[in-house]
Amino acid sequence: MDILELQAELEKLHGASFGWALSCCRRDRSDAEEVLQIVYLKILEGKARYRGESSLKTWLFAVIRKTAITEQRKRLLRALKSMAGPGVRPTRNAFAAEPVLALERSEAQQQFQTALERLPARQREVLHLVFYEDLTVREAANVMGVSIGSARQHYERGKKHLRESLDREELDYGIDWKRKANPSAVS
Amino acid sequence: MELTGNEKRIQALFLELKFAEACVAPEFGSLWNRAAATPAASSSVFKLSFALAMSFAVIALFSLVLWSRNWERIQTSTPDVGAVAYQPGALPVVPAVAPGSTQFAIAEQPQRMKVNRSVRRLVTRHRLDANAPSVVIPEAVAISGWRSPTAMLLQSPADDMLTSLPQLDLGVRDLKTFLPETLQ
Repeated sequence: MDILELQAELEKLHGASFGWALSCCRRDRSDAEEVLQIVYLKILEGKARYRGESSLKTWLFAVIRKTAITEQRKRLLRALKSMAGPGVRPTRNAFAAEPVLALERSEAQQQFQTALERLPARQREVLHLVFYEDLTVREAANVMGVSIGSARQHYERGKKHLRESLDREELDYGIDWKRKANPSAVS
Repeated sequence: MELTGNEKRIQALFLELKFAEACVAPEFGSLWNRAAATPAASSSVFKLSFALAMSFAVIALFSLVLWSRNWERIQTSTPDVGAVAYQPGALPVVPAVAPGSTQFAIAEQPQRMKVNRSVRRLVTRHRLDANAPSVVIPEAVAISGWRSPTAMLLQSPADDMLTSLPQLDLGVRDLKTFLPETLQ
């Protein structure tokens, strides 16, 4: 694929890529931007090369995920090195970091994001890929680098944990979660 | 994938989140251009560090080659020390010079500069040993004939009595013969 052609395709996927980068960076906007920029840099340098083995979106999301994990490790090391210094970042929560955005968003969204953050990483990732990015569980498994069975298990457990967490928060969406049966939930 | 009740609700929440985040997403062009501008800096840093590392490696290699060559030359030019020690006749003939100027004579010969310092010292010592009769014997004679200027202070009039001994089986009269004349 030509670089200009690839650039056009990446531009189409930019919004979804940023959303996925946000999810990988625990909703920290600056970190997500940094990760996405590094991903574009990798593509430009040829370190990340699309070989057409999967869809471009799946490949791009896998690259974003790996880059986010690497950057997170680097940040952790930097934080450990400067533990005694004043350079430690106090929070990684986008709501705390961006109060204007936090005011704009609804309370329900905040509680939803809090519930999402409480989920284990794999469960949060698979839910994001399926519900936010409209990928299938198989595609999500490819992005996460796990088997389809494992991804399905994370998906079911994630849904269950998210529902339980939202129940605990007594979040009212106008729907009673407990009264409706969920046929896909793992009991 | 067909979504059921709870899944639809979760998707609704995710869609709301997606809409909110789409508003704060940075432009693709800015991120792409920033990424495109970054490689030049990173590659120049890489090139600089690579050049530094290569120059260090070349210097180290060059010095290693020089050292090994020098070492090889020393090994080949070192004479057999045993042969030098036990065959003084085989030593190069050195013109007769004063002992103090031997070092200068050695230093003036360019081929001697290549020889190891310890071997050079050994050769010098053997050369001095070879010239020993002409230098050492007159000195030994001079030393043996030397007398101390204060030796006369040790002489006394009773030296004869102290240096002569009587025999045990002699009579008193006979003993008188051993006494110095001044006492008789």
